[in-house]
Amino acid sequence: MSAGLQALPGLPLLLAATAYASAVRRLARRGDGWPRSRSLATAAALGLLAVAVLPPLAAHDEDLRAHVVQHLLLMVAGPLLLALGAPVTLTLRSLRTPSRRRLLALLHSPPMRLLVHPLTVVALDVGGLYAVYLTPVFEASEEQWWLHALIHAHMVLAGTLLAVVVAGADPLPGRPGVPMRLALVVATGAAHDVLARLLWTRGWGDAARLLAYGGEAADVAFAVAVLSAWYAAGGRELARSARRVATS
Amino acid sequence: MVILRGRSVWSGALGGIGLAAFLDETVFHQLLHWHHFYDGAGPTAGLVSDGFFHAFGFVAAVAGLFLLADLQRRRALVPRAWWAGLLLGLGGFQLYDGTVQHKLLHLHQIRYGVPLLPYDLVWNLVAVVALVAGAVLVRPRGA
Repeated sequence: MSAGLQALPGLPLLLAATAYASAVRRLARRGDGWPRSRSLATAAALGLLAVAVLPPLAAHDEDLRAHVVQHLLLMVAGPLLLALGAPVTLTLRSLRTPSRRRLLALLHSPPMRLLVHPLTVVALDVGGLYAVYLTPVFEASEEQWWLHALIHAHMVLAGTLLAVVVAGADPLPGRPGVPMRLALVVATGAAHDVLARLLWTRGWGDAARLLAYGGEAADVAFAVAVLSAWYAAGGRELARSARRVATS
Repeated sequence: MVILRGRSVWSGALGGIGLAAFLDETVFHQLLHWHHFYDGAGPTAGLVSDGFFHAFGFVAAVAGLFLLADLQRRRALVPRAWWAGLLLGLGGFQLYDGTVQHKLLHLHQIRYGVPLLPYDLVWNLVAVVALVAGAVLVRPRGA
């Protein structure tokens, strides 16, 4: 593969980084702030996704261990950080009112609600994973570059959907409560663990172990993201009630 | 100030489940190498059960700690109830691992190449002792 073609997956990431940065600048020009932590999360997310799809790592993905690292970055680490960057809130704030209304209408439309339903999220995330790794699709993807690219795109999109619903910093109409979101983390984490052990029986060796332990680290990271947001919201609630007591 | 006894028990129980999963993973899998990653015996049900065991254990540990921090900040923690919950969670999960996962589902055994009976007895006895201690502690003092 030529060097130009190898760098191609970096293009959408570069576009996303440019769009995010220019939206933050637009906000800043009219005097609105944007939390630096969100920009940092987005930068880290795009950086990790770049590590996953660009050489040198991508050049070694016939090595199963390199492939597992790629998978963890594309489907877990990158998406979680992307979701913590609140891209939808940023986009809505940076748009003019008519476009903002159109985007909001789209976000609240029935197909969108179906997409963020816990069952859809699990089906796309876990279903995609099993469909790729436990069928001949995985071997075929090593021959066909377009299938390879499609699988990577699916990993990022399904992972991001899960991360947005479970731990996203963006408000989401009808987002499930904390126990349901933690249940989603456990369900997807368990499915991931089972997959790792099935691949172990197929001779994946160290790569299977890496997949299992990486998945466990992901469970912890997702749980921390969900619960730290819950803890912060509780703190705001406590401060509000303390103020009410002080003023009454 | 409100005292949250029930939530204290829950926080401890989640922490105890997390601790059981953590000890299982670090001590028995990684340090002693007694447990095997997967010995390929047992049915798929064991694999699914173990997957839940790990994922649930780690999420429970994080949830238990955040609940504990929340109780502390509200000054609503009942330490005795928290410890009771910890013992109940630890014992309950260890007993489940020792009976259902090791014996019923044959996921993997405690150790390989040794007579299993003493290991199984000690493993499950520790779990029962923790459960009983937790059950005694969980009742409010004087009740």
